[in-house]
Amino acid sequence: MNAYLNLLIGLAIGLNLLALGSSRLPSLINAVAVQGMALGAMPFLLEEHINWMVALVACATVAVKGFVIPILLRRAMRTANIEREVVPSIGYVPSLLLGAGGTIAAVAFARTLPLLPEHAGSLLVPGSLASVLTGFVLLIGRSKAISQVCGYLILENGIYLFGLLLIHATPLLVEAGILLDLTVGVFVIGIIVDRIQRAFDSLDTRKLTVLRE
Amino acid sequence: MTPGPLLLFAAAGLTAGLVAGRRHAPAWLGFTLAGAVAALVAAAQLLLGGAPWEWRSEFAVAGQPLHLRLDALGALFLALVAVVGGAGSVYAHGYWSDRDYPQSAPRGRLWWNTLLLSLGAVLLSWNGLHFLIAWELFTVAAFFLITLENQRRDVRAAGWLYLAASHLGTMCLFAFFAALAARTGSWELGPMRERADLAPLFWLALVGFGLKAGMFPLHIWLPSAHANAPSHVSAIMSGVTIKLGIYGLLRTAGWLPVPAAAPWTLIVLGAVTALLGIAFALAQSDVKRLLAYCSVENIGIILIGLGGALLAAADGSTSLTAGAAWGRLALAGALLHVWNHGLFKSLLFFGAGSVLHATGTREMSRLGGLWRAMPWTASLFALGAVAISGLPPLNGFVSEWLVYLGLFDAVTSRSPAAWAALPAAIMLGVTGALALATFVKAGSLIFLGAPRTAAARDAHECSPWMRGPMVAVAAACGAIALAPALCWPLIARAAGAWQPGWADLTPPASLFTLGGMQVALALLAFAAGFALWRRARADDVTRQLTWDCGYVVPTARMQYTSDSFAGIAGGWFAWILQPQRRLRRPRGLFPEGASRMERVPETVLERLIGPVAAVVMQASLAVRRLQHGRLQYYIAYVVVGLAGLGTLVVLGGGS
Repeated sequence: MNAYLNLLIGLAIGLNLLALGSSRLPSLINAVAVQGMALGAMPFLLEEHINWMVALVACATVAVKGFVIPILLRRAMRTANIEREVVPSIGYVPSLLLGAGGTIAAVAFARTLPLLPEHAGSLLVPGSLASVLTGFVLLIGRSKAISQVCGYLILENGIYLFGLLLIHATPLLVEAGILLDLTVGVFVIGIIVDRIQRAFDSLDTRKLTVLRE
Repeated sequence: MTPGPLLLFAAAGLTAGLVAGRRHAPAWLGFTLAGAVAALVAAAQLLLGGAPWEWRSEFAVAGQPLHLRLDALGALFLALVAVVGGAGSVYAHGYWSDRDYPQSAPRGRLWWNTLLLSLGAVLLSWNGLHFLIAWELFTVAAFFLITLENQRRDVRAAGWLYLAASHLGTMCLFAFFAALAARTGSWELGPMRERADLAPLFWLALVGFGLKAGMFPLHIWLPSAHANAPSHVSAIMSGVTIKLGIYGLLRTAGWLPVPAAAPWTLIVLGAVTALLGIAFALAQSDVKRLLAYCSVENIGIILIGLGGALLAAADGSTSLTAGAAWGRLALAGALLHVWNHGLFKSLLFFGAGSVLHATGTREMSRLGGLWRAMPWTASLFALGAVAISGLPPLNGFVSEWLVYLGLFDAVTSRSPAAWAALPAAIMLGVTGALALATFVKAGSLIFLGAPRTAAARDAHECSPWMRGPMVAVAAACGAIALAPALCWPLIARAAGAWQPGWADLTPPASLFTLGGMQVALALLAFAAGFALWRRARADDVTRQLTWDCGYVVPTARMQYTSDSFAGIAGGWFAWILQPQRRLRRPRGLFPEGASRMERVPETVLERLIGPVAAVVMQASLAVRRLQHGRLQYYIAYVVVGLAGLGTLVVLGGGS
């Protein structure tokens, strides 16, 4: 059981690095979609007795993170007519190094934490911290709105991973609520991206500083 | 009628004026005057011995049930609001008319009534939260009145300074009332002398109310605000609103226990405020700025009286023993001075407004010789000047004399208070002499001599709308001056509301002597004036230019200027006034031009507050650079902040 789980988490960490290193937006979106699906499948591995509620939420997570959100993002990308991040504030190699360093630091840090014995062997905590860090690097280092949304999704995936630690304590309904928020957020961002593109001919958020305060 | 319906009527009249003021100036005037008269009658009922009026309601404003109460002390201030508010309304009708100021006159009427209503609300509220709301409303209303001429840059600057300084004071008051409510568990106000732990709160109230009163060195906003406001607004601000700072201090000192150092602080602050206020006033060349600084001086006199009263009350004897008698005299002097200063200062500002209206300038060195063109304004201004200088036979003398009497009694009582009373009395004497010099300067430069500019030559007398309120206020000054013994019971009732043991209605015997002397002096002055007038009208008198000094062809430019008049006395205070001089000497055998300029800066503002504010502004601008609108960096701030907090937790958890 734990081995499969760790495999999935390892896949998610690998996808983190892929997201950090890719300059093309479609591959970034794909990475996020696959990561979302991998994470959505995890409750099946964690729970010994699958009830219909857990199954429903897990399926919904896979569907939304793996299909709905990526489709929304791809549509926004098409309307905005952009394919790649041209000038990131943090370059791809530095991003990768930061991500790799962050992952190593997360593994090292997780060892010092006082975890429950059943979580000690799993990669849940390091994977979660690494994803959060990756999300932050993407949010800080990319300037196109769509790449930032992807960064935000990876950040949220990290939080979701951490939430799995508490799967026996918190109802999955909370997770379902977060999922709904996320979908609506991405939906709105998709519309806004379209509007920004039409109004300003650019999606570079660095240029959107005049409207502060 | 009891005070309740009268106050309701007053509020209704002012509100009706507020509504009507936008379109119909005469209707506004009628409603506002009716409201002011009703408020005055209500206040008079209490001062003449009526029982305190109280009204509680379950109706909650901002979550607190309404609690209104008017006692004799509040009535004393309410009467001043009503008199100056009513007189100012009539004056504004002529001075700031729709014809002259079509843009700002309707706005002015609106805020004027808002100001009067909120002043009344401050005096009636017995709930800390409602007090704060009314206080803030009156601050904002006054701001909009100051900036009626908002197209002028100096008016905007004055308004901004006023608003910023006032909010510093309001912040202290928020802290004060909130701390009070937190410690007592309720926003209700009222006597709580037995709670000794509340004493330190007095310092917060002192800063908050002292700033509004214009106490040195918190007076920085006052001169520019009072000088740049329209004159009827200057009159109510100088005459009434700064007194609400005194009202707040009185209430705080009456309800809460005060720290042992508070009375001494008040006396020292009062003496410093009085002396430096009048020193700055003497050095001013702008007549309204001079009057504004003179308000600072008078606040100092009131603070000395208040400090003396607190000192006597702190001796422990609330009954009328020898120790408390002098405190009661000082308090009565301070309370009467609140009235007197409100009356003669509004008279003087009305006069200055008439001069400004007639000539278009406030610079005294551009005026001169106005007595002939504006006899009414000139003689009423002179009356106000005599009153404010504390000369008999006018009302300023009565109240200052009461304060003196209290201080002298304190000196002869050989209590520790003598150590404060003696220097305070000396300072008060110096202040009085300087006030006389200041108003000799103002009166002679504006009204005597020859006109210095064409504007002064073409001056005209003010309209009856402006003259009427001046005569009314001057008559009130005269009434207090000639019958001080009749005023005593009113003041004593207010003093009794402050300190229950002090409500002795029989005037001190010397007050009757003083009244008689005042009447005799007034008759004498009147007779002398009449005889001089007869002499001057006689045919064999030839008229000459004033101050021609024996020159063959004197010109108006040979007269004293504002700075040369105050030169010597100003020199004594050069250490604080820091005058800036620019001298261009005549050079060569045929000098082409020479000049001498002198300017007295706002020393406290420019030398003390200005540099500090500049440093704060620079630091704020540097911090502002962090806020550039780039989302990526904001997220980076969050990450750095989180990492910092995390490190703190990890390190803290390890130890």
